[in-house]
Amino acid sequence: MILITGGAFQGKKAYAAETFSLDESMTADGENCSWEDIYKARGIFHFHEYIRHSLEEGRELKTLAEDLFRKNPEAVIVVNELGSGVVPIDAFDRDYRETVGRICCELAKYADEVHRVVCGIGTVIKHG
Amino acid sequence: MFVLITGGSGSGKSEYAESRAVALSKETGLPLYYIATMKPFGEEGRKRVERHQRLRAGKGFLTIERCLNLKELKLPGRGVILLECLSNLAANEMFEAEGAGEHTPEEVLLGIRKIRAGGGHLIAVTNDIFSDGILYDETTERYQRFLSRINRMLAEEADEVAEVVCGIPLTLKK
Repeated sequence: MILITGGAFQGKKAYAAETFSLDESMTADGENCSWEDIYKARGIFHFHEYIRHSLEEGRELKTLAEDLFRKNPEAVIVVNELGSGVVPIDAFDRDYRETVGRICCELAKYADEVHRVVCGIGTVIKHG
Repeated sequence: MFVLITGGSGSGKSEYAESRAVALSKETGLPLYYIATMKPFGEEGRKRVERHQRLRAGKGFLTIERCLNLKELKLPGRGVILLECLSNLAANEMFEAEGAGEHTPEEVLLGIRKIRAGGGHLIAVTNDIFSDGILYDETTERYQRFLSRINRMLAEEADEVAEVVCGIPLTLKK
C-alpha cells in the first residue's frame, strides 16, 4: 500500500498517476465513488472526501484503515493533509479534520511507502 | 536536550513526542513528567484529555496540570519533561483573565527557559495552525502571530525540531 499526502492543490493526483502508472479506469474518486469501490480500485483519489461522506452518513470508521489494508493491499491512496490550521469553530469540521488525521496515521503505519507532495514535487517520507 | 515537535491536528505528534520522552527516560534513568496545559471545555474537551491519558497510561508519567504561568512551576526534581502543548498554553495566557495577554510570547518563553534551567530534558509539543489560508478576525490572527513567534524562538533554542506528518517525524533541525 502507498499513501500520498500533501496540502490541497499540490499536484498529488498527477504525481500519483505518473509515479505509479495509474490510468483513470483503475481509480476511484472519494468524492463520488461507492462505499465498496475503494476496496477494488488500484488508485483512490480524494480519500478525505470519502471520510467526510462517511462521517456525514454516520458510518463507523474505526476499522477503515485496517479494512482497506486487508482488502486492497496494493492501493495507492491520495489524501489531503488538512490539519494545519486554526481549530475550526464547527464541531463537525473539528471531528472531520481530526478523523482524517488519525486515519492517515494508521494508514501510514500499514503503508510500504508514504509520499508527501508539495508544489507537485513528491518526497518519500517512509521508505519501503 | 530540548526537542520541539510540531505538526497539524491529528498528525500523530503527541504519540511521537511520548515515544521520544519514554526513550530519553530509559536512556537517562530520569523520571517522566507530563505538563498538561489544556483546560478541558465540555464533553469534547473531556474526551480529548481522556484520549491523551489513555495514550500515556502505564508509561510512568507523573502528570502535572499547568494551564498558565509556566515560570512558577515547581517540579519535584530533574526529569524528562513532556509539555503538551504550547498552542493551548499560548491560548490560555492570551485569553484567560489572569493570563499574560499581550505579553504571551515573552511569558511562554520565560517559562520554557525556567524549565530548561532546572536541568533534565524537555520535549515540547506545538501546533501548526498556519496553513489553512483563511483570513481570521484580528484576535485569532494575533493568536497565530503569537504562537508563530513562540515556535520560531523555541526552534532557535532547540537542539532538535521535528515536524510530524501522518505519524512520521521529519527532521527540520538537528
